[in-house]
Amino acid sequence: MASQDEEFTVLFQDFYPSLCRFLECLLGGRVELAQDLAQESFLQLHRTAWGTLPRDEARFWLYRVARNFAINEFRKSHTRHRLFDRVVEAMRPRTKNPEEEYESQERKDLVLGMLSTLPENQRVALLLREHEQLSYRDISQVLNVSESKIKVDIFRARTALRERWAKKEKTLSKTGAVATGSF
Amino acid sequence: MHCDCTEKVSLLIDGELSPVEAREVELHLLTCTECQEARGDFLNLRNQFASVPVSFRPVAQREALARILGKPPSVSRGFTRRWLFNPAVAAVASLLIVAGLIALLLYPRSKPGPAESGEIASGPSRKPTPAPAPSRSAEGGQKDRVVPKGSQPAGSNDKNKAPKKKITPVIVEPPEDNIAAVAPETRVRAADTETMTAIHFQKSELLLRSFRNVRTSSPGVSAEIGYEKRLAQQLVYQNMMLRREADAAGDAQVASLLESLEPILLDIANLPAKPAHNEVKVIKDRVERKNIVALLQVNSTALARALD
Repeated sequence: MASQDEEFTVLFQDFYPSLCRFLECLLGGRVELAQDLAQESFLQLHRTAWGTLPRDEARFWLYRVARNFAINEFRKSHTRHRLFDRVVEAMRPRTKNPEEEYESQERKDLVLGMLSTLPENQRVALLLREHEQLSYRDISQVLNVSESKIKVDIFRARTALRERWAKKEKTLSKTGAVATGSF
Repeated sequence: MHCDCTEKVSLLIDGELSPVEAREVELHLLTCTECQEARGDFLNLRNQFASVPVSFRPVAQREALARILGKPPSVSRGFTRRWLFNPAVAAVASLLIVAGLIALLLYPRSKPGPAESGEIASGPSRKPTPAPAPSRSAEGGQKDRVVPKGSQPAGSNDKNKAPKKKITPVIVEPPEDNIAAVAPETRVRAADTETMTAIHFQKSELLLRSFRNVRTSSPGVSAEIGYEKRLAQQLVYQNMMLRREADAAGDAQVASLLESLEPILLDIANLPAKPAHNEVKVIKDRVERKNIVALLQVNSTALARALD
């Protein structure tokens, strides 16, 4: 039992931050909710599947469950937590200097904003590829779809984001806004 | 204009093509401008993703783990409580506080403070500070891997990687940041190519930021760019060398970034000592259009983190 807990701790420490980021991007920057759902996913894993699941598959299982939790959240409410999360985020103590913090936050908002315009399946596939660096085969295993669908989803997501990025740049150059280093 | 190969470019940067197909697409890339642009844009998107920090606290992680495993939430909390309620510790703490207060009262002017040196009027925080080491700005304390370099083996064996090492980069260590920001030169001497590339990216980024801030108040007035010009002249040779090495090592991402950077460095280096407003503006526009500052920032951070 102790060694199982140790193994679980290693897995948790390896993947909790990545899972938080995955969920945060999926949920459009709702930090607190992302952390809650990440914890909930690990809790599910520990309670239900940890004894029986092959260790190699635990990671995929986690992303699958986390994604389902996120979808449930979407269905429940799009806006309920948003204000609260923003207030909490605004109150959070800052460690970086304000300029860095501002740039970093601005870039994050931009990326998350663009991601939120993608269909959910494309967004998940792209996040698993770009952030988690899963292969197409692994992504198809997480999402229970074919590899060719993953291939198409990722390409469409990239193409859509590329177009939006170009539009964004055009708007910026028209308005003459001074870029802050992010674009 | 729509090339059918752009989808394959997407697969190429993900390392999802067979070696034969990859070679074919790479050959195609040499001639197709549209696919070259697509590759640049896809890699740019990747860099933007990589630079998204995570709002995540290690304390929350520990607490979450404790909750899941059904253990007390935090060992340190009980520990702290025991110490706080220990009368002996409380007495010693009180004594120390009193001693500190006495020391403050007795020696208020033992060394010249900012008030005596006249700094209090402006306050230390208002002193002009040098530009922060920008490559670190994208750090959210999370990204624990190098910016992907194309291919990536199946993730099923990820668990076999040394797990402890992956955790440590989650916490940003401020002293390391300071070292990197204060003494890049000392690092160059003992550095390998990757370190040099990271430092080169940092310097180039600083140069471009500085260049971006060059003031040309009106079209008729020339700008002062002596510093930027000198720095660009130094960096352009290093850029050529590093690009060749990146090409030889097959590091397409770094090579492509250095390739985009080179003409900009050359243009700045070749500007006259007092260039006209338009000459500066053209280069500034190109820097913005190519999003090169952000790319440099992301790449230097990723390289530096990989080297840590």
